[in-house]
Order: sequence, then C-alpha cells, then structure tokens
Amino acid sequence: MTRRTLLAAAAATVSCARDRRPRLNVYNWSTYIDPGMLTRFESERGVRLLYGTYESNEEMLAKVIGGNSGWDVVFPTHSRLAPMARNGLLASLDHARLPALRNLDARFRSPAWDPGLRWGVPYMWNGTGIVYNGAQTPAPQSWAGLWNPNLRGRMTMLDDPEDAIGACLLKLGYPFGSVDERQLQQAKAAAIAQKQLLRAYLNADVRDQLVSGDVIEAQLWSTTAAQAIQGNAKLGFAYPEEGYPLYCDCAAILRESKRYDLAHEFLEFLLRPDVAAANARVAETATANGPAQSMLPRDPVLYPQDAIYRRGIWPTALPSAVQRYRDRLWTEIKSA
Amino acid sequence: MRKIFLLPARFWMALFFAAPLAIVCAYSFLTRGDYGGVELPWVLENFTRLADPLYLAILWRSVWIASLATVFCALLGFPLALFISRAGRRKNLYLQLVLLPFWTSFLIRTYAWIFILRDTGLVNTVLMRLHLIAAPLQLLYNDGAVLLGLVYNFLPFFVLPMYATLERLDPALLEAAADLGARPFATLRRVILPVSAPGLVAGSVLVFIPCLGAYLTPDLLGGGKSVMLGNLVQNQFTTARDWPFGSAASLALMLASALLLAGLMRSRIARELM
Amino acid sequence: MKGRALGIYAGMAIAFLHAPLAILVAFSFNSGRFTVWQGFSLHWYRAAMLDPQLSEGLINSVVIALFASVISTVIGTMAAYGIWRRSAPVLSGTLYLSLVTPEIVTGVSLLALFEWAFRFLHLQLGLYTVVIAHVAFSIAYVTIVISARLRGYDRTLEEAAMDLGASQWRAFSRVTLPAIAPAIAAAGLLALVVSFDDYVITSLVAGVDSETLPMVIYAMARRGVSPVVNAVSALIVVAFGAIVLISQRLQAR
Repeated sequence: MTRRTLLAAAAATVSCARDRRPRLNVYNWSTYIDPGMLTRFESERGVRLLYGTYESNEEMLAKVIGGNSGWDVVFPTHSRLAPMARNGLLASLDHARLPALRNLDARFRSPAWDPGLRWGVPYMWNGTGIVYNGAQTPAPQSWAGLWNPNLRGRMTMLDDPEDAIGACLLKLGYPFGSVDERQLQQAKAAAIAQKQLLRAYLNADVRDQLVSGDVIEAQLWSTTAAQAIQGNAKLGFAYPEEGYPLYCDCAAILRESKRYDLAHEFLEFLLRPDVAAANARVAETATANGPAQSMLPRDPVLYPQDAIYRRGIWPTALPSAVQRYRDRLWTEIKSA
Repeated sequence: MRKIFLLPARFWMALFFAAPLAIVCAYSFLTRGDYGGVELPWVLENFTRLADPLYLAILWRSVWIASLATVFCALLGFPLALFISRAGRRKNLYLQLVLLPFWTSFLIRTYAWIFILRDTGLVNTVLMRLHLIAAPLQLLYNDGAVLLGLVYNFLPFFVLPMYATLERLDPALLEAAADLGARPFATLRRVILPVSAPGLVAGSVLVFIPCLGAYLTPDLLGGGKSVMLGNLVQNQFTTARDWPFGSAASLALMLASALLLAGLMRSRIARELM
Repeated sequence: MKGRALGIYAGMAIAFLHAPLAILVAFSFNSGRFTVWQGFSLHWYRAAMLDPQLSEGLINSVVIALFASVISTVIGTMAAYGIWRRSAPVLSGTLYLSLVTPEIVTGVSLLALFEWAFRFLHLQLGLYTVVIAHVAFSIAYVTIVISARLRGYDRTLEEAAMDLGASQWRAFSRVTLPAIAPAIAAAGLLALVVSFDDYVITSLVAGVDSETLPMVIYAMARRGVSPVVNAVSALIVVAFGAIVLISQRLQAR
C-alpha cells in the first residue's frame, strides 16, 4: 500500500465517523454509565452522543478551565461545583426543564453544597471507609484500625491527599477539613508513622489485591469496596465511628455549551428512575435517585443505615492557602 | 536550497515546541490560580521554593535512582549490544527481538510486571509451590520494583546507540588484537571499550534523562510511597493544581537534562550521532 | 568459548525482555480473572471485541498514528537531509531537547498553547491537536534514525550526480532518497509506534472526539489488572509483531 492510499483510507475513516445528527458531548468518570442508556437517548432524540471519560476531577478541570473544551455536560464532585461556578465555568440549571428533579432522594433535593440545585444534579454518591478481610482481622471500628502493627505490609491508604490526610485528622479527633496548622502537623506525623506499616498508597488498583487476599485492610471508596466484596465474600466494609467523607458527583452543564436545551434533555433523561437504576447497576455505586434506589438491591455498603449515614461529612472546598499547605504536607509524607 | 529542507522542521518545532515552552517559562513566574491555571502578579517565589530542602531531597533521590538504573542498563545492555553487533546476518532479527516488547504500550509493560510481582503473582506462586518460601515476598511497591521497571523500560534506549557504535567497530581491529596475543578480557578493555565510549555515553544519557523525569513507573510499581522529580511535577499539574510551581520544577528538570545534553553535544560523540 | 557465553547471556537478556509480555498474553486465555490458571477461554477476547470504547479508541489511535507518522516522517527526513548537508546546531539542539523533555511538560505546555490560541481562533481540542502534538515529539525520533543512516552514506554520490547536471532536488530525490529508503521506512515505523503508544501527552491535548486506545486501556487498568487489558495487549503485540516482520521482508527485498 502506498502512502497515498493509506492517507485516503485514513481520510475515509475520519469522514465516516462524521454524522449529521445534532451532537451532545458528555464527559464523565469512566464506567459511570450504562452504554445501553446512551444509545437509548440517541435513538429517542435522534441525536448523537459523544461520550468521553476521565479519571479525576483535576483531569476534567484542566480541560474545561479554558472555557473552550467542546464538552457540554460534565460530572464534577459536589465540592468542585461552587468553585467552578465562581470561575464562570457552569451554566445555571433551568428547573422548568427538569421536572424529574422530584425523583431525587430527599437527601439530595437541597444539599448543603448547592441548596437550590442551581449548578448540578446529584447523580451518584459514595463514601470513604475501610475494607477489611473478615477471615484475617475483626471489623475495624475506627480509623485507628489502619495503624494496626499486626497488619504491617498488608494495609493500604488512598493515594489522595484529601482522603489520606483527612483520615489522619479524624483519627486524632480533628475535623476532616481542618485548616489549623497545628492539627495538620499532627496529622502529618501520624501519616508518617503509619507509612512504615503500609504496603502502598493505592486507589482503585487495590481492588484485585483485596480480592486475592494480598491486602487485608484498605482505605477505600464504598463503590470500589462493593466491587471487591462481590469478588470475595470474606471482605467487609466499615464506616469508622469518628466520621467519614461522602462525595456526590453531579451532572452539570458547562457555560460554554451551545446545546443548552439538549443538555437539559439529557439531564432530565438521567433522572428517569429506570435509567438511573440501569446506570447505578453498571457503575455499581449508590444513585441519588429515590425511585431508582427502590429498584435496586439495598446494599448496606453502598447505602449505609441512617445512623451511619449521619456520621458522614460532605467535604467543602478548602481555601487556597490551606490547600497549598496540605499539598506540601502530602509531599513531605510521600518523601518521608 | 538547504534551508527549504530545514524549514518545515524549524516551523513545527518553533510553533509547537519552543512556543509552548516559552509559555511554561512565563507560567513559572506567575501565581497559582485557586482552581488550576495561573494568575498575576509576577513572582520569583516558584524558583526560590525549589531550594527548599524538601525538594532538594527529592532531586537527590531522583538522581540516585536514575543513576542506578543507568548503571544497570549499561551492565545488562553492553554485552547484549556486543552480541548483536557480532551476529552477522541475524543482526536485524536480534535487534527486532530486543525492540518487539516495546511496540506495546508502556502501560501494558508496567502492568505486566505488577501481574508478575504481586503477592499472588507468578514469582510468589512458583516459589511457594516449590516450598522455597512460606509466605509471599513483598516484591512490589519498593525501590527495587521501581528500579526493575525503569531498567526494563529503558534498556533499548541504551542498547540501540551502543549497538550503533559497536557495529561500526572494525572486526579487523579485534583480529589484530587477538593476533598480537591479547586475551579476550584485554581486548575488551583495551580495544572495545575505548572505541565504544561514544555509544556508552550516549546510551547512558538517553537512559538517565527519561529516568530522571519518570513518573508512571514510580507511581505504579512504587505504590506512591516514594516521590521522584517526575511525580513532583505531575502532582503540581494535577492534585496540587499549582501550575506555576510545576512549571518552575519542570524547567529545573529540563535545565538539568539540557546541561547533560550540552555536555554530550560538545564532545565528539555529538558528531558521531547527529 | 567467550562467544558462546555471550550468546547464552544475550538469550537470557532477550528472554527477560519478552517474559512479562509472554506471561500477560498467556493469561489472556485464562478463564478466571486472577493469576491462577482456571482453564482455556477466549472470553476476554470476546469482551475486548465487543467493547465499543475500545474499538472507537482503536480507530482514533490508528488514524492519529497514520497522520502523525506520515507528517513527521516527511518533515524529519527533510530535516535530517538538511542537517547532513551542513550542520544546524539550533535545530539539532531543539530536537534533542524535545526528546528529553518530560512528557507531562510537553503535554501541559501544548495544552496551554492551544488554549491561548483558541481564544482568538474558534477552534477546539480534537483529533488534529493530538496529531500536531504527536508530530512535534516524533520529528526528533525520525531525524535521529535517518541522520544515523546518512552518516554512513557517501556524500560524493550526490555530488557526482550534480556534476552530471542534476539539480540539487533531482540529486536528492533520485540518488539519495532511494539510498536511505530503508531508514525512512524504519523511522516512519518508529514514529507510528511512539504515536500509537503515547498516553501522557495525548490525554492532555485530546478533545471531545479523540479518545485513543492507550487512554481507554489506562482507564481500564486503573480499575485493576483486567484480563481484557491482557487480551488487548496480546492483540497489539501480535499486530505490531506482524508489521515489524512485514517491514523486515520489505527492507530485505
């Protein structure tokens, strides 16, 4: 094949991918939607959905912060909504076009981070707790369980400064979102002491090692924990008594979007109970949709009982100076 | 006429390499935006922060690990390159065999090692089946694993220039040495090594520089327990959202690389390579 | 004696380079998820084939790699030839510098450039920004490979052609170009591979419709060592192995 035919073939492939239907560009966390629901929305509305995925809020922010990313709908974590709105990145929601907002679970109809639901529709949520292997260790009650010297080399923490430092703060009896330098210094000392006992700082990668029994205790998100538990029935999940962080990812429309109407239609579509249930089933996480919850098995890992739920903390965005201070502490912990 | 040949490369590199780099330079003098990005005023603070003992320690660690990786690559790669350069008609086949694993993605190669080294991975499973060990060895998430990953991933960077130099080594030279009664080891030390110095230096630089800036390997095989310069830079652009400091740190990293390169270019090796 | 020791050593070294991938490929046929052999199965291959994100990523990756490698091969070949005629230290230095720039820096700086430029142009990140970025980092590879070949090439051949009345362009295209064709093919292949492999830079400059295969694989691998990733990597190894073999045959001819 000559270079010219190659080029022609490539050009043909590109032009085949072009499609005349109106297009909506959705940027979401990976495995956070049922692909079948995407095609359903496409055929119902006669539109084309372009669906991309990201792995962290920062990855998404880096793309959309310029205000010309091409995405229409994104799914920031609740604590990122207010800063994004302040930076003029989000379009405010038109509730007249979102009658299905009534389907939201009562907890999410007027959340503390966005009381009037101006910027984002709560989509999926999960908490951070401790996964443990019940065959090897009793259920930890407290974050201090992750400082267990008997499990040296068999424990992991999340590779995330907010969660890891937050757990140290909670263990010491301080608030998760502490801005006090003395408290943060103590948390750093606790983290450095803990590091000797840890196998590694791992995020979702730890799942397989929990299932295989390599790791006995891990700080982990309830979603990933529930997936691990499916693979190994001996695993359990504990929400520590000092409290634990909760995170809710919300569907939001970018201000740069030129498809404001279609974006609302998509958000409304996501709020349908059957659609929300299908998505939650694929994402294996907790949905913020009330009727959808009753269509799904009530997993106590994903949906903690009320008494436990009340211990949950919804983190807020930290002031810039504190954020910087924490980043430095994290570097000190990592290079200790 | 010659200028026309150079024009496209000059254009592309100026627009899509030098200009972006200039932007990074500008960023390094700006202030961190609250949610990523940069803001005024202009400051020097990002560079003075680099002198902090915390970051100097990270620099030192990175240099140390990158040096170790380079030494191992040289020890492993030199005999391999020597063998290939003397393989006659099969040269190309062996060269392709060395390169073949690297046609796959870097990520896949790193994950392959996780697959092998973890507690229930192949090494531990085999050792335990043979009753050589009672409990699995902790092979992952330490400096050894990071080093293994770096050596594995960058070995071809050493083998290729080394091979290119050795290949041009005149076999008559070796025969002459043998005729004069030199034993193999003496031939190696007196004849092969001096002649292959350019390849040795070029290969070492090509391994050392990417190792210095590596971040995926320490992240995945080191389990996030140690920070190298690449992780520091990466973190500033992601979780820490401190683009100005990230820019300053990357400029420092590039300056170190550029100095090494300049040293390489000034020597006779440069003429050998480019 | 010494030769044999060296051969055994080289065999072991090559085995070391291949073993991890061989193991990965072997376990892609395992019916279970884990490193315990549970029987032969093509289940993970079927899962890989049916995954729409994987196939879309593959198409994007192939399109990007083809465009990027062709453009960078043309530019790089011209640059190598120009440098060979007479040294161009600034360009050579820049090319080397681009080779050693940490990927994250290249990616972020390009993203910054694009975002700045898009303020004036009504454009968005997309396949073409990925191609631009890939060309920017591939030119250096191409130039180095072709320069290496040109060093061993006899300058007088081209001069002879020009003495016989050929223009410099004709001398280049009729005499030098055919002589370095194998190196150009090799350089193009290298550019194809670095483009196909890149994750860090691509993930930063990719836009709405340009998710590449490594990006999909990374997302999958982050969720744990998935046998689907093993299957995909096995397919990639085999595909690239075939390309390499074919190009070897072509060059040998």
